[in-house]
Amino acid sequence: MNAAFPTPGADESQRLLSPEELEAALRDIGARRYHNLHPFHRLLHDGKLSKDQVRAWALNRYYYQAMIPVKDAAVLARLPDASLRRIWRQRIVDHDGDHEGDGGIERWLKLAEGVGFARDYVLSTKGILSATRFSVDAYVHFVSERSLLEAIASSLTEMFSPTIISERVAGMLKNYDFITKETLAYFDKRLTQAPRDADFALDYVKRHATTPELQRAAMGALTFKCNVLWTQLDALYFSYVAPGMIPPDAWQPGEGLVQEAAPASAPGGAAKLVAGDVPRLPRGVRMRFDQARDKHVLLAPERTFDLDDNAVAVLSLVDGQRTVTQIAEQLAQTYAADARVIEADILIMLNDLAEKRVLER
Amino acid sequence: MNAVTPQRAAAPAPVGLLAELTHRCPLRCPYCSNPLELDRRSRELDTATWQRVLTEASDLGVLHVHLSGGEPTARQDIVEITQTCAKLGLYSNLITSGVGGALDKLQALYDVGLDHVQLSVQGVDAANAEKIGGLKNAQPQKMAFAEKVVALGLPLTLNSVIHRGNIHEVEGFIDLAVKMGAKRLEVAHTQYYGWAYVNRAALMPNKAQVDQSIRIVEAARERLKGQLVIDLVVPDYYAKYPKACAGGWGRKLMNVTPQGKVLPCHAAETIPNLEFWYVTDHSLAEIWSDSPAFTAYRGTDWMQEPCRSCDRREKDWGGCRCQALALAGDAAATDPACSLSPLHAKVRALAVEEAAENPPDYVYRTIGSNVRSPLKEEAKL
Repeated sequence: MNAAFPTPGADESQRLLSPEELEAALRDIGARRYHNLHPFHRLLHDGKLSKDQVRAWALNRYYYQAMIPVKDAAVLARLPDASLRRIWRQRIVDHDGDHEGDGGIERWLKLAEGVGFARDYVLSTKGILSATRFSVDAYVHFVSERSLLEAIASSLTEMFSPTIISERVAGMLKNYDFITKETLAYFDKRLTQAPRDADFALDYVKRHATTPELQRAAMGALTFKCNVLWTQLDALYFSYVAPGMIPPDAWQPGEGLVQEAAPASAPGGAAKLVAGDVPRLPRGVRMRFDQARDKHVLLAPERTFDLDDNAVAVLSLVDGQRTVTQIAEQLAQTYAADARVIEADILIMLNDLAEKRVLER
Repeated sequence: MNAVTPQRAAAPAPVGLLAELTHRCPLRCPYCSNPLELDRRSRELDTATWQRVLTEASDLGVLHVHLSGGEPTARQDIVEITQTCAKLGLYSNLITSGVGGALDKLQALYDVGLDHVQLSVQGVDAANAEKIGGLKNAQPQKMAFAEKVVALGLPLTLNSVIHRGNIHEVEGFIDLAVKMGAKRLEVAHTQYYGWAYVNRAALMPNKAQVDQSIRIVEAARERLKGQLVIDLVVPDYYAKYPKACAGGWGRKLMNVTPQGKVLPCHAAETIPNLEFWYVTDHSLAEIWSDSPAFTAYRGTDWMQEPCRSCDRREKDWGGCRCQALALAGDAAATDPACSLSPLHAKVRALAVEEAAENPPDYVYRTIGSNVRSPLKEEAKL
């Protein structure tokens, strides 16, 4: 039994699946575990992340991109014949490019630069989360150490990627004014490269997974790979969305950027509010009920904000004592809703007010 | 049921009250928005009357009170008046020059619940600033005042009125605001009414300078996001569409002069034959809904073409009535600052011409002077 990476229950039987059944089972793994289902990706694609959260994603994901050719070289080294190597080596060419300034890694660097990073900072990978490094390194080791069939099967997440890429490109262009079509050039290429790569790998797996054990190993490998991707988003969510615990040494908003005022030195702090922060309304900003118009308003220097019921519920709990997480928990109890979802939502609202200088921490 | 009295559309409740507590001011800025004929101290409303006006304003739906002038701290009762605002839940905004007795009264104003301070700065370079404001040694007083505002934890907005005498300092104003710890900066290009109209030729910048100042502000906004909010008021004469003056005539604001005359905007007295009511004769609610001055240009019924059929008529409400009068000779005309006005090209040409000439000397603001516009009559196009 492959206990480390349990495969779907239906396949616990020792029965040999037809190639079509095997393909269906592999696709089913993606339908349930691929990282497009992760809450972080939903926030990313729906435009709910702050610029700094998008930056954290771009920075960490660079390490994954940078190690892909290393992983593919490990596969290549184990392929026994020239015809297979000719096909597989195209992946390395795609990623590394044919010359300076070309290739998928370069395009990812452009994306990172597009959201404000200094190139050298991204290349150094010193700001990435340890969880990112562990996940990606585990993937490289897996491919080097497991069977060739498992190594190839683990690449099959490419079967699912065109969907996520379309969602991502459309969502990011629509929702983030700091993302341009040029910034997302990486994904343009992957839309055609990924299906081509996946076709070959899927065909290989279907032809070579000829026993129930091998089939389960292939499914286990794909599950493992889904987890490699999922874990990276877990870590991003934990560190930069909620509870917002950024590990020591990992990237802090403001670091490694080009031409940005260093938020750390800004009075009041221009850095984004995170879940662990205690928000407060400063002197000169107050909420009151406006009898003449029968609604709550937030009064601020030279401005009045009309508040809806949700905003009133949140701001009533902004007391200079509670953290964002505690406010979300309180609201989750009152409204019997998911605290994580509320937290992500109210962080957006509170950061919007902070940007307008009417909320501080 | 068939004898229906014709009814005007009910006026929405006003949100802001500009309380011009006094016209006295130590500064003499040549672009002051006060009328050329300033009220004397002997005619100013007393404390009790202002307190009644504030109570009526609160009942009427006003949320923000702008304590202005002149220099509002020149009034001995500024603390009492501010306290009344706080008791009524009105948001109090002190619009001050920061000179004279302002600093001495600040702690007391803070203690009674002042919400916000808007400090005027005439320039970044002290000599230039003091030339514009017409008062020696004003700049150090302003800096000390700003420092105390921030030290108290009061939100500070810097207001810089921009014209050809300081448009080269826009970047400097931004740095100054950051250095002082202001949360907001108003980069307000001069609007040409009142004293600014008289001094227009001395104040009008050229188009390239205006464009450059806008670029500087836009870059700084991005750079200072979350640290400093910058509001930009672009000069009318170079704009495509006029601004909704005071948010639309009789829609958002009331302006009470030192002697209690209630205006739809601070320049409204320049329009002849408008009948203004006084807080000493009528309640604020009556004045808001029924006074001839407020009903004259409220809504869209009074409009002529091209405003009348324009799809922007409820966005900018025809622009500024006072400017229409000053430039077109008819307060009900389309504001010539609008590119759809038949007079727009002439107004623009006038701005370009004045900005190209050597600036005349400032005509400083003073009480009791007999000022005549140095502009030739051709200004009325």
